[in-house]
Amino acid sequence: MKPDVKRVIRSTQATAMTAWLWPFLWGTLLAICIVGIPHAQGIFQWIEPDVRQVIYQRTPFYVLLERHVLVVGVAAVVTISLGVGAGIAVTRRKGQDFLPLVSQLASLGQTFPPVAVLALAVPVLGFGTLPIIVALMLYGLLPIVRNTLAGLQDVDKDIKTAARAVGLTPLQVLYQVELPLAAPVILAGIRTSVTINIATAALGATVGASNLGDPIIAGIINNNMAYVIQGALVIALLALTVDSVFDALQTRLRLRLSSS
Amino acid sequence: MIELSHVSKYFGTEMAVDAINLKVEKGQFCALVGTSGCGKSTTLRMINRLIEKSDGEITLDGQAIEAYDPVKLRRRIGYVIQSTGLFPHWTVARNIGLVPRLLKWPAKDIQARVEELMGLLGLPVAEFAHKYPHQLSGGQAQRVGVARALAADPDILLMDEPFGALDPITRVKLQDELAGLQARLHKTVVFVTHDMDEALKLANHLVVMRDGHIVQQGTPLSLLQHPKDPFVESLLGGLERGLKQAALTRVKDHMSSMGPTLPSQFRIPADFSLRQALSMMLRDHTDRLAVVDQQDVPIGELSLRKIVKEAQLEKGSMREA
Repeated sequence: MKPDVKRVIRSTQATAMTAWLWPFLWGTLLAICIVGIPHAQGIFQWIEPDVRQVIYQRTPFYVLLERHVLVVGVAAVVTISLGVGAGIAVTRRKGQDFLPLVSQLASLGQTFPPVAVLALAVPVLGFGTLPIIVALMLYGLLPIVRNTLAGLQDVDKDIKTAARAVGLTPLQVLYQVELPLAAPVILAGIRTSVTINIATAALGATVGASNLGDPIIAGIINNNMAYVIQGALVIALLALTVDSVFDALQTRLRLRLSSS
Repeated sequence: MIELSHVSKYFGTEMAVDAINLKVEKGQFCALVGTSGCGKSTTLRMINRLIEKSDGEITLDGQAIEAYDPVKLRRRIGYVIQSTGLFPHWTVARNIGLVPRLLKWPAKDIQARVEELMGLLGLPVAEFAHKYPHQLSGGQAQRVGVARALAADPDILLMDEPFGALDPITRVKLQDELAGLQARLHKTVVFVTHDMDEALKLANHLVVMRDGHIVQQGTPLSLLQHPKDPFVESLLGGLERGLKQAALTRVKDHMSSMGPTLPSQFRIPADFSLRQALSMMLRDHTDRLAVVDQQDVPIGELSLRKIVKEAQLEKGSMREA
């Protein structure tokens, strides 16, 4: 093996390793905050000197985090299945008539502000977790549908023709050629969708879905800036952790695809 | 054997191929030639049902292609296109082994076959097996494309301008290698190209197409000697036709035994083409060449005057016939 080839391989391994450094760092910071906020009385007292209770204590932060992740997770699983599924369906020959409809519906979903969706959903679905999941789904669908469509449509036509011509079944063309080649673009869409929804999910606190939005809403109502900062800090760190995990996944995918 | 009878293809109301008849015998190398949009690629793609014909009948070994499942049919037919169509996320070895894997060959057989084909196409296994398509030059990528098409040892090979995107030197090299492969493997090949020299060099059945029709078909020599109309004539090179015809004949078919005169100082191997001999005469200002065998020993003589006389005689006898 030539020395420059060796160097390339070593630097590739290095990028693959450093890619996981950020998720680790942000994750550690998140954990420190969850454990440390209840003990940081001094800092938050300095922010709100006139308030007696500066640490949000109604529900422990790790419980709020768990609920938050669950809501975003459920919404993400549904949006990904729906979005990627719809993207695949309308790029098949049988479904191509629905392509304009699906891409317009997905765009429409994002033009509705989540707050409006919540206001409309509560009378129908009642208070609690369900309306916020519906709002997140509608809001997060567009980036996934759009990127799935872009990724699949970007696959070289000649490669698809060749795949068919050598005798791959339509399903094999999808799984062995189209999806692997579109994967980086689809993953970028999922990343955008999930990261936005981690922030948006906080709105759930206004309709009785308890999550990391609780301290923020409680802080606004009681005019307690310390609560707001605690909620916002944990949500921001959660978003950064998840975003950096996606970034690492994308780096890995890119390395595998170009593998140079 | 591939047989097309009265095959047509309409895209909407536009006619791409109009009731063509074509028969490609087993082991024959058939080239479809014509200007862009003449329906030659469409014709090719109807054979492996990438495009479904609108009318007529296509048979493989006497059986209508509709009788085969399209996926199984395509696995039996090798297919090579200009842009190679290699899967960019797969290594060279995996790309070549694609069809055997689809046919569920044992892993050991697939590996052996991939290595055999890489050897056949001049791609050293150690150097290329683990490379990805984007790491290859155009010529190397097309070798992989040909290897993939040959992987499951199909009887039929469809090639759609396979060398169209290569530089002239690589193109000629790959043409020579394809000719060598065909001489050993005797596949039934249908080859689409707009490069007449390529068609004349490789094919033993030449089909000229225009506007979805077959204008003329036959052996390359017969088309060169009797082009049916000005279109075929211009496609075959117009005034250069004589040279193209000369390119199809060997020096040894025109040489005479050594005369009483001293052999010419200019030498040409017996298996060179007559075209190369004529070019040498022009370059070296001579009308005689000494013909030599592989050991560079003179075995005969080639004289310009005799070649011209032969051609006149041939023309005369044809006129009588």
